[in-house]
Amino acid sequence: MKPIYLYELRSNLKSLLIWTGVVALLVVVALAKFEGYRNSPELLQIMESMPKALLDAFGMRAFNLTTLEGFYGVMAVYDYLMGAIAAAMWGANTIAKEEYNRTADFTLVLPLPRTRILTAKALAALTTGAAFVLLTWGISLIGAQRYHPTPAFYAFLRLEMAGMCFIALLSWALGMAFACLWKRPRQAASAAMIVVLAAYILSTVQALDQRLDFLKWFTPFKYFDAGDLYRHSALNGVYVTLTLVITLVLVAASYTAYSRRDIAL
Amino acid sequence: MFQANIVRHELRRSLKSAWWWALGIASVHLIYLPFFRTFADNAAVLEKSLKQFPKAFLEAFGMGRISMATVLGFYTLIFLLVQILLAIQAARYGVALISREESERTADFLMTKPVSRLAIINSKLAAALTALLATQAVLWLVAFAGWAVFNAGHGYDQGRLALILSSALPFQLFFLSVGLALSQMVRLVRNPTPYALGLGLGMYALSAFNHMAGEIKLEWLTPFQYFDPATLALNGYEAHFLALDLAVVGVALALGYWRYLHRDIPTVT
Repeated sequence: MKPIYLYELRSNLKSLLIWTGVVALLVVVALAKFEGYRNSPELLQIMESMPKALLDAFGMRAFNLTTLEGFYGVMAVYDYLMGAIAAAMWGANTIAKEEYNRTADFTLVLPLPRTRILTAKALAALTTGAAFVLLTWGISLIGAQRYHPTPAFYAFLRLEMAGMCFIALLSWALGMAFACLWKRPRQAASAAMIVVLAAYILSTVQALDQRLDFLKWFTPFKYFDAGDLYRHSALNGVYVTLTLVITLVLVAASYTAYSRRDIAL
Repeated sequence: MFQANIVRHELRRSLKSAWWWALGIASVHLIYLPFFRTFADNAAVLEKSLKQFPKAFLEAFGMGRISMATVLGFYTLIFLLVQILLAIQAARYGVALISREESERTADFLMTKPVSRLAIINSKLAAALTALLATQAVLWLVAFAGWAVFNAGHGYDQGRLALILSSALPFQLFFLSVGLALSQMVRLVRNPTPYALGLGLGMYALSAFNHMAGEIKLEWLTPFQYFDPATLALNGYEAHFLALDLAVVGVALALGYWRYLHRDIPTVT
């Protein structure tokens, strides 16, 4: 099991580095933008008198862009989106690639039950995802140092990264489920991506109208909405439980499906 | 320099996927459009209060440039999402165009046929372009039909709507050609999805950050800014961006062609 785990970990390394580079670029660009906002009381005044619903439509509600917390709050949705896409891709491809690269026959004749092969691969993808969240956290912290962050900032960033972690966890399970259940291995990652993008679009639609509040249940991007995290200074227990339950169901379904899967050769 | 049976084969494959992308684009319209009525009413009230603020500040936040209470203003929200879908689709077609043969181990089969590489890439490109145009046809249809049904009594300039929609073509061409060039620059693309997503969403993220005020200007880098829906709705095309887009398309296509006509086709193990 261990060699498979290490092998997959190594093969994910390159894409992990690329994704980390993208996050770093995002933080650099965003902080360059932040220069224009900070310590600008007139801007703060304007932000405060802005109509809430309009800010909502632009995902800026509850954020005071002149502070570091506020600025990182606006960035949260991009972190979430990247965490979701990367984790779904790793979750799906570590498993599905054996089939589309035609190496499945080699791996599956190893003296290991399928479930253990799946465990090794899933854990490798999960580790990569966790590393990605930690690296994002680290880069965000390094970027913030120049502005002498307050303890409140650290607390908020911790919540935001917890949110990213849960979203990545859910997406990882989603990718894994598609790799195990979807008939065509090459499409597994794309299919998982479509679900992620649909959830993202749903989260933007939700902001259009108050009557659409119920849509929040269908999109994890709203479970860990940075505005809510900022207002309540805590994760919402119901949403966290829901995330964990969905993850568990997807993982269970993956294991059941994979041990019976007709592997494409 | 086309090979009819290659075009036919590719078209059959790509039209099948274009249908799903068109469905995605249509559903974005159908999800958003019914909320125009209430959103427009709210936005009208909000924008009255927004009037007090200095224009520069509103522009800094990428709002207030165009009224969300109008049909075209609201459509900029929809069209941005449509652009994301179009970008990923076109990038995916571009990246997969040639590399699919290699990752699916059919390149050697194709290469033994008495067809030149030029005819192969021409035919494949023609098929991909047709699929993109078919997607666009659906876009035009749902946009005009959708607004005819959901305009809630607000009038709008149909010519302007057509102008916004027409930007889809140079936009798609950018991602198709850059995707193609990208796929020919790396040794072997095993799976086109990460490339297409990286290109499409990366450009979108760059554009989203450009909307915020600040020193760094990124609009030269991303087609999401060349064809910014709000700018299109207000002022039409910006000539220098359109020219830049077409120049990038030209260079990327030349690069893709040149590489494909000269490169060593990798053997997949």
